Amino acid sequence: MSGASTMFVQQRPVGLGFALLIVLLYVFLLVPLVTIVGASFTAGLMIEFPPRGFSLQWYREFFGRRDLVDGLLLSLRVGAITAIVTTIVATMAALCGQALSGRKGGWFQLAMTLPLLVPELLTAVGLLFFLFKIGLGKTVLGLQMGHILMSFPYAYVSITAALRQVPSSLDEASASLGATHWQTFRMVTLPLIMPGVVMGAIFAFINSFDLYTISLLLKPLGGNTLPLALFDFLTYEFKPTAAAAATISIVLSVIGVALVQRLVGLQRAF
Amino acid sequence: MATVDVKNLCKRYDDFVALDGVSIAARSGELVTLLGPSGCGKSTTLRCLAGFLEPDGGEMAVDGQSILATPSNRRGFGVVFQNYALFPHMTVAENIGYGLRLRKCSGSEITTRVHDVMSLVKLTGLEHRMPREISGGQQQRVALARALVLKPKLLLLDEPLANLDARLRDEVRWLIRDLQQQSGITAFYVTHDQSEAMAISDMVAVMKKGRVAQFATPREIYQKPVERYVADFTGEANFLSCRSLEACGEGRMRISVGGAELDVDCVPSLEPGEAAELLLRPESLQLATLGEDVTFRGRIVKSAFLGASQHCEIALADGGVLKLTTAPNAPVRIGDEVGIVVDRSHAWLMPEGTK
Repeated sequence: MSGASTMFVQQRPVGLGFALLIVLLYVFLLVPLVTIVGASFTAGLMIEFPPRGFSLQWYREFFGRRDLVDGLLLSLRVGAITAIVTTIVATMAALCGQALSGRKGGWFQLAMTLPLLVPELLTAVGLLFFLFKIGLGKTVLGLQMGHILMSFPYAYVSITAALRQVPSSLDEASASLGATHWQTFRMVTLPLIMPGVVMGAIFAFINSFDLYTISLLLKPLGGNTLPLALFDFLTYEFKPTAAAAATISIVLSVIGVALVQRLVGLQRAF
Repeated sequence: MATVDVKNLCKRYDDFVALDGVSIAARSGELVTLLGPSGCGKSTTLRCLAGFLEPDGGEMAVDGQSILATPSNRRGFGVVFQNYALFPHMTVAENIGYGLRLRKCSGSEITTRVHDVMSLVKLTGLEHRMPREISGGQQQRVALARALVLKPKLLLLDEPLANLDARLRDEVRWLIRDLQQQSGITAFYVTHDQSEAMAISDMVAVMKKGRVAQFATPREIYQKPVERYVADFTGEANFLSCRSLEACGEGRMRISVGGAELDVDCVPSLEPGEAAELLLRPESLQLATLGEDVTFRGRIVKSAFLGASQHCEIALADGGVLKLTTAPNAPVRIGDEVGIVVDRSHAWLMPEGTK
């Protein structure tokens, strides 16, 4: 029976068809991950699945290579700073967006999410020119600024969504009890939007960790982020070291998602 | 304890006039209710007093001192909101102690004062619950305690009972009134429920489209409304259009209505000859038994048994309709010709107005 016709039959076939669809989707999403994680543990010399035997040699190899480890460290550092700076700025922007009403608020919202709408390549080229103009071309600081810019909308959207759940009467109640704006923010608003802030920080980190195009154009002289280092590596060698590096990235992402789940609960996050 | 003077308060949003010259005054320890339908400006007035809104014009003074330049966190007024506005991440005790913590009170002082006010609003034992774990009535009492624990100069209540069910509403209403009278705090209370307003207020301001239609005691608002709008909003009312013939003494007028001539009390500004309406509350009308001085005659067109009383409607010869209540077992049959006796001390003449 085809999927379309099952739609019109009883509950059960629809349920079955739907379940099948979900399973297929998961298979589609997970197969590459499983393959790459599996391949990273191979005892053979090629990226292959199923892996040939089991060994950690490719992890040893990964951590033994200066270029890849430096890439990982740079990515982690840039990602962490991106997460912190982006979250602070995005929180301030979200508060501002909330204070603006009506048409102004709409324009503000649009402006804040603009980096999502403009193709990454264009932003990267624009930034490259700009950074050279102000003397920050090909520096870590310039790269850092690019990452913050690209990660900002994710944090902004997440924090704005959290802020919308806080009724304005809480601000008013707090003020009537004698609190200054800052006290209200610290004791009422911030604790209530904390889940959104944490999620924004994690999104910003994961996004920064993943960025390729913008890193390629803005990378500092002699420095590589992990995706760039990996790409360079793959250009010349096709060894399971790449699989090991990919697995490390996946593990970092999973830790991020687990943190969100732990601190917020995924149901509330999305 | 504080006196409050609001003079000529104005507020507009683009082309919508929310407040159009509102003037209200409260003497020390009074509870003043702002009564009116939604959009009449009652909440806007309260929010201006609280400092959440900035009026475009007018003056607000407490104890003779203008508060216009004082931000809401320095006004020292307690505010109770319709949706309670409790901080969801704090326990009941933390919510109530919030203002004390901001004032840098010591831990032991906070504990004692929170404990005292909680027993005052009958919440003892709920200190460590979260707001979402207690009922709506309890939440509103927490909100009340949170405001009262700071001993505010002025208590502002914005439809505090609107989200509660009928039984709780009564309970919390009396609690509010009792606490307000015990502590002698001047209070402003916003509601659209006339019976609530009547029951707990010292003074009532009936508001209409950003203005105060009448500002008086509940008794006066009910018995001597200045216009039909006020009479309509404060309870069941019959209106008969009539002709005013001549003044007969201070604030009294002779009128011709439904084929009868009566002397009744009237709005002082009313001139003889002006089109006027006679207000007759249902409880000032009675079906006539034999030998009484009948004012109107009519035919019963509708009746309903309500348990403690009966409701009936009587069509008069000139087309007017009177609603009244009778004793539960009074013989009332549709189609009967009846006479109606009017308690003239409770008849009230107003200028004819739009609704």
